[in-house]
Amino acid sequence: MRRRSRFLFIAFLATCGAAPAQAAEDAVVVTALRHPVAKSYDRMVAGMALFEQRRHLAPGAALRFKLLPRKQQTAMDGVELEIAADSVGIALEVAPDRTFVLERNDVALKEKAKVVPNRKAGTMTWRADVRTPGLPPHTRRLGDLRLECEVGMKAGLISDYPPSFFGWLDELLPQGPSYCHRAEPRYLFFADRPLFSVTLHDGPRREVLSVDRLYAGASRDARWKKGLGYCDCEALIDRAYFVPLGDTSWPDDTLVELEYM
Amino acid sequence: MRSLFLCALLGGCTLLQPPPKPAEKPLGPGEIVSAQAAQDVLSIGSSTKAEVRAALGEAVVVDFASGYEVWVYRERPPEKPQEPAAPQAELVLLFAPSGVLSKTRVR
Repeated sequence: MRRRSRFLFIAFLATCGAAPAQAAEDAVVVTALRHPVAKSYDRMVAGMALFEQRRHLAPGAALRFKLLPRKQQTAMDGVELEIAADSVGIALEVAPDRTFVLERNDVALKEKAKVVPNRKAGTMTWRADVRTPGLPPHTRRLGDLRLECEVGMKAGLISDYPPSFFGWLDELLPQGPSYCHRAEPRYLFFADRPLFSVTLHDGPRREVLSVDRLYAGASRDARWKKGLGYCDCEALIDRAYFVPLGDTSWPDDTLVELEYM
Repeated sequence: MRSLFLCALLGGCTLLQPPPKPAEKPLGPGEIVSAQAAQDVLSIGSSTKAEVRAALGEAVVVDFASGYEVWVYRERPPEKPQEPAAPQAELVLLFAPSGVLSKTRVR
């Protein structure tokens, strides 16, 4: 049986509940659900191409992609990942920090492959990961984040939000990389630990970001918990922040200092 | 005649007095008068949620599954908007799962 057919068959069993409980738990769902966890391989490759075009934003960095938990109970140990097409299946190596590198494969592109983890839909989310080496501890670089946003938008990594979620995240979806050039794009980044404060630092200039730019803007919306289940920040809301990517008064070398809880 | 003159003088004085100040609007939830002054009355490592609520009133609360809570207070915006608009000062508090204040910051 060809690979995609096999995945679809497993998805069918899982959806119908006909498979044993353990098999359903392990099922890889590709297209049977409305919001599958799998991502389009050709869109991710397009994101890689954009990274090459725009790498002046982060000249010392390499591009990786990152898997993140979307639910509190999502087990991230032992995540396996593969490029799945009709005639090829390419296993990808997932690092202990859940990042991975994607390589270009012409057959997979031609066959409209998917990048598929061994997790059920809705349990994980994805981001681009661009890190300039040698930065001080607990800092990110603004140019790296700008490039993460552009690649993430190009690659279609951001999960769907229902209309009116938090009153503003819904506008993000139809946008491409140009969305990242807005002064205040609401592209969510996730710190490695729960955040208390984020400060932009460029030479003598420092600016502590408003708490409204942390926690996906929850401090501005009393109903934030009602929509949380639809946000790919659900399990990481205490680590979520956004920064003024399109404000060119902050150069790419600006340090984004993260103070943890 | 003299009485009439005195009455007119007193009436004029009353008219010249400034109108009484309107009563101060009460603070809304999460509003404080001064973020810095509010921070000064708190004590990291000992202030509890109940004590902070008693001192500053209700906050905008963002609570997490970990048990940590972030409380946000903002200074009341000026009645006459400023040009350009000044950012609203905010006081952000972090409570540990124990319920004790563990961090503060003013912006």
